[in-house]
Amino acid sequence: MSNVTVERVVKRFGSTRALNGVSVEAGSGITGLLGPNGAGKTTLLRILATVMAPTAGEVAILGRNPASPRDRLEIRRRLGYMPQEPGFHRNFTAFEFVDYVAILKEMTNRRARHAEVKRVMHSVGLRDVEDRRIKALSGGMRRRVALAQALLGAPELLILDEPTAGLDPKQRLRFRETMSHLGEDRSILLSTHQTEDVAALCPRVIVMNHGTALFSGTPSELADVARGSVWLSAERAAEAHLSYRTGEGRYRNIGPAPANAELVDPTVEDGYLVLLGDEAIVEAA
Amino acid sequence: MSWHVHAETLARYARGTVDATQQFSVEAHLVSCGACRASIASFVDVRALERTWDVIEGETAAPPAGAIERLMVGFSIKEHIARLLAATPSLRRSWLLAIAAVLTLAVLVANGAPNGYVFFLAVAPLLPLAGIAAAYGPGIDPTYEIGLVAPMRSVGLLLIRAVAVLVSTIVLSTIAALFLPGFDWRILAWQLPSLGLVTGSLALSTIVHPLRAAIAVAATWLVGISAAAAIVSSPTPARAVFGGVMQLVLLIVTIGAGVFLVARREEFERGEHR
Repeated sequence: MSNVTVERVVKRFGSTRALNGVSVEAGSGITGLLGPNGAGKTTLLRILATVMAPTAGEVAILGRNPASPRDRLEIRRRLGYMPQEPGFHRNFTAFEFVDYVAILKEMTNRRARHAEVKRVMHSVGLRDVEDRRIKALSGGMRRRVALAQALLGAPELLILDEPTAGLDPKQRLRFRETMSHLGEDRSILLSTHQTEDVAALCPRVIVMNHGTALFSGTPSELADVARGSVWLSAERAAEAHLSYRTGEGRYRNIGPAPANAELVDPTVEDGYLVLLGDEAIVEAA
Repeated sequence: MSWHVHAETLARYARGTVDATQQFSVEAHLVSCGACRASIASFVDVRALERTWDVIEGETAAPPAGAIERLMVGFSIKEHIARLLAATPSLRRSWLLAIAAVLTLAVLVANGAPNGYVFFLAVAPLLPLAGIAAAYGPGIDPTYEIGLVAPMRSVGLLLIRAVAVLVSTIVLSTIAALFLPGFDWRILAWQLPSLGLVTGSLALSTIVHPLRAAIAVAATWLVGISAAAAIVSSPTPARAVFGGVMQLVLLIVTIGAGVFLVARREEFERGEHR
């Protein structure tokens, strides 16, 4: 069953079209949204989080229509949202901030609310810093505070805009662990720049560019897009779209077969690069 | 266990009216006897106990609240409302100090300049207006987006903060008014303009960004006051300009804007950057 359905959605800001007739679906489990900057990922996630309405097209979230006030409230009761650049009241401690959001989420009983705040702080590994002021926390910790507030009330649908940005490798692994637990019994939609996140976490991936969806499928299907065009060679391949020296000293080439090269299995990243074509390669370089 | 505590003793124990010896005896027995523990439950108000536990756990499970929140709770504001208010940008100390500075200036002008009263009466109602413009909205409240998608009604949060800003500013302005030349309680009539401007600005916020709404309302107010001051020729211009006619007009504006605000409250939930 689809928890999120988006059909031919357009979003204009003045004369620019952030979304250009995008259609996507997401069911239970984790769906990763991949794409370069300006692809429309954040705009799409903000529409799905009921922050704004589309200019045109159809949106259904948890089987409800966010344009109707009553449905929108119902969606908000079942939704957790982590914005790309979450703002904080910097004088609050981490605990006070999450508690503040818990109040906005209609948890007025103090005992139950504090227990829930403790639970989410623990699940993102912030228990030890809960009484530190937000302004004294590192960027990675602040992102975890933002994630903690999204988890309040164990929502059925989680919308996370670049949750792994600014996390160090250890935090990233911890985040993956948290997500894979959560993804077992709810829908998670997350955007990322990291193909490794998608490969490690997401049973489904959507690739966006220029306000539309270019691809929707499993990570191995995305990797398959590059099947037959990834080669390892001793020399730099002149004909390749992209050629770079790997840690082992050989060149990894995407494009037509160079001389004396070995065809290798593509990765999710290879598939992503082939799908986006020259644009992705310019960005990667 | 061959014996049980007498029901009457249990009842007295639950009320706390047994002597110390009996108390120790009952407690020692209760620890080892499930039947007596079950029967004492009927003598105890479980809901009162629950409330007590709520308070104890609420106090001990959470880190202590900040000074401003404790102060508000001291004024018997509910704990969760106090937390919502503590996040208001325009209830911070720096903001309140700025308000105090403006009021001091207005009092100095009122004491020094001819017709300085008009200046004070024109400026004072703008302060809550500014405070409310700085209390809520996209680009103003850093957690606006998270707050918007939370199920609590945005208009509810806005009104809670508006009332708090209005009250704190009125308290400060009233203190300032005591230092006006020839102070007279009628001067407190400027509180109706405050209410009118604030309600008008909130109503307009359902159409445009709250900051633009506040600027538009403030500009209209200042133009209106200047025009009225230019037209009237009276030895007491303050009384003439801020007299009954203006109060009546503002009362109508307040009620009209209030009705408009209630009718269009759902607009605050749309979140479109107006």
